[in-house]
Amino acid sequence: MKRRTFCTLATAGSASLALGARPARAATTVSLWHIFGYSTEPGLINIARFNQTRTDVQIDGKSVPFGQLSQQLVKAVATGDVPDLITIDNPTVASFAGQGVLEEVGARVAASKGLAKSRFFPGSWATTILQGKQFAVPGEVNTLMFYVNQDMLRAGGVDLGKPPQTWAELTATAAKLADSAKGKYGIGVSAIQTEEGTFQWLPFLQQSGAGLKTLTSPDAVAALQLWVDWVQKGYASRDILVKRQSEMTDAWLAGNSAMSLSGPWELPRILRDVKFNWTVIPMPVREGKNIHATALGGYVWAIPKGAKNIDAAFQVIEYMLAPEQAARSFAGGRLPAVQDVQPPADLPRAEVYAGFESQLQYARPRGPSPEWPRISEALQRAIQQAITGQQPAQQALATAEATIAPLLQRYPIEGM
Amino acid sequence: MSRDRFLDSPTIWGLLIGAAALFLLLLVGYPIAYNLVMSVQEVTLGNLPSFSRPWVGLQNYRQLLADPLFLLVAKNTLVFTVANVAAQFVLGLGLALYFQLSFPASSFLRGLVLVGWMLPPLVIGAVWKWLLGSDSGFVNYALQSLGLISGKIYWLADPSLSLLAVTIANIWFGVPFNMILLAAGLAGIPADIYEAAALDGAGPVRRFIWITLPLLRPTIYALLSLTTVYTMRAFDLIYTMTHGGPLDSSNIFPVWSYRMSFELFDFGGGAAIATAIFALVLVVALAYVRSVNAEHPM
Repeated sequence: MKRRTFCTLATAGSASLALGARPARAATTVSLWHIFGYSTEPGLINIARFNQTRTDVQIDGKSVPFGQLSQQLVKAVATGDVPDLITIDNPTVASFAGQGVLEEVGARVAASKGLAKSRFFPGSWATTILQGKQFAVPGEVNTLMFYVNQDMLRAGGVDLGKPPQTWAELTATAAKLADSAKGKYGIGVSAIQTEEGTFQWLPFLQQSGAGLKTLTSPDAVAALQLWVDWVQKGYASRDILVKRQSEMTDAWLAGNSAMSLSGPWELPRILRDVKFNWTVIPMPVREGKNIHATALGGYVWAIPKGAKNIDAAFQVIEYMLAPEQAARSFAGGRLPAVQDVQPPADLPRAEVYAGFESQLQYARPRGPSPEWPRISEALQRAIQQAITGQQPAQQALATAEATIAPLLQRYPIEGM
Repeated sequence: MSRDRFLDSPTIWGLLIGAAALFLLLLVGYPIAYNLVMSVQEVTLGNLPSFSRPWVGLQNYRQLLADPLFLLVAKNTLVFTVANVAAQFVLGLGLALYFQLSFPASSFLRGLVLVGWMLPPLVIGAVWKWLLGSDSGFVNYALQSLGLISGKIYWLADPSLSLLAVTIANIWFGVPFNMILLAAGLAGIPADIYEAAALDGAGPVRRFIWITLPLLRPTIYALLSLTTVYTMRAFDLIYTMTHGGPLDSSNIFPVWSYRMSFELFDFGGGAAIATAIFALVLVVALAYVRSVNAEHPM
């Protein structure tokens, strides 16, 4: 038994040596914590290519699930053993930077030829800035659109040539397709008490014409009432209160939800598993307001304070955002944060990726604010209070505003 | 000194006690002390790596008590713990007694019951979330097919039911552990006592009350304490099923502590909750130690 273990270890060891094929003297090793969890991820291809072409710098990558990035970074900071480079969720940059955990990279970015501000989507760029200083570089972005089950729409008599474009049209379409007794719903969103719930509802608040400073306005109330009505009239399942976005997509894939709000990260598995005709449509606008707004998700590249190889880590960032590497993002269900890269034409359903890409112009950042987690928590509570019927939307939002207003006063957020 | 003499000498006692004490001090004492210190400091991400943080006395605790969530979470934790300990014990005892009967494949079936205990809580949470789903969940389907309910039950999405839902799942998770410890305790009761009682005319019920329960007492005390401790630190299962929601209706102290530290980055607050959990668990553990000592006076 012991002997066998030893042999296995020896084999594994030599195999990794052979696969790595590293040069004898790799001068600098950049430890990178990333979210590229699947072996097919383009991010991993980029890392492997980097390691093949560079002899002076090598990347030592470790994958961390997206939902655990903050926790892992906190643990690393606590023990003083931080990686040289990490991919983190964009609304957390301000929290981490505000508490002095991230290296300021503004001077390096300004001096870099490849990382001109003009290349990036402005919303995405904004997530990396706190009080005029830059603490990260946008990596990949995503945004929200409604995935639509065309077979269900056709069966419900909806003209596929005229997809819903406004709140009222969306609601009317959802009403037509819902049969809650049979477990079929017209529309799916995630109202869960986590950041995901905020991520999905915030665009509706912005479409309404309101913002975080006007949470008690009739517009803001209308945005929340829209969701409340969907659930109370049975157009959306009550389970949206506890279901994550991926679970809402599960329901859509199972044919139980005609339209479901989600992002491009679902595309790889949708392309693999879907059994009906489908497409994506942009988020609606509100009648009379015509404000386009959608969510901005994704990760940024950040260098934690205390990183040992800052120069080399920054070279990795530059490499990852060069057009050739950035273009690979699409195949992984993500969108590059730079605007000068188009989806490769040989991509399956390339028009869907192009659809998401076109929505990025309306994608608005959450924050940035070091207090974003608390702001978001107050919003989540309001959403859930209204949907469960514990408080009317007006009152739930007033409670949220009481929490949020002082936080906004301390850290004003531009444009929110 | 011969080897046996050495193993019996006070020197070796000192070494053994020292090793155990060192182990406890490093691996148990240090984290507890670290957590205690954090709970009386203002801890931010910036000062997390060092110990020199501003001292705030009991402010984290005061904030905790003043938090509108505190009473709700305390009530949830109490209900969750009491319901779990009671139900897991009763069901575990029932199963242990049941599998004591010899019938074909009884030991195989007993092994099968243990499977639940072997699965990671994350997996169990995911499975129960699916089972209790209101639209396509199996539980609603079964209840509807049997004609027991007409509409849907929103197990997870209804704030008045979500705590019940995670409690059911956690009971299912804990019963096998209760069963196996009680079965071991039952196996330790000599059969001749039962035979003697039967000869004296005691029926099964009286044998259970006057022989089984008293002789099982040490096992029961140990089990109740362990289950209480396990239940009070339940985290993964609730985190997967409801994330403590909706509206914190299924939030208990460990979940709240995690969210405070890792989602709101309020490490002092998270540490204060953790200290409160520790104090509660300590009380249970002390009660257990006392009861064991009373049983076997040294």
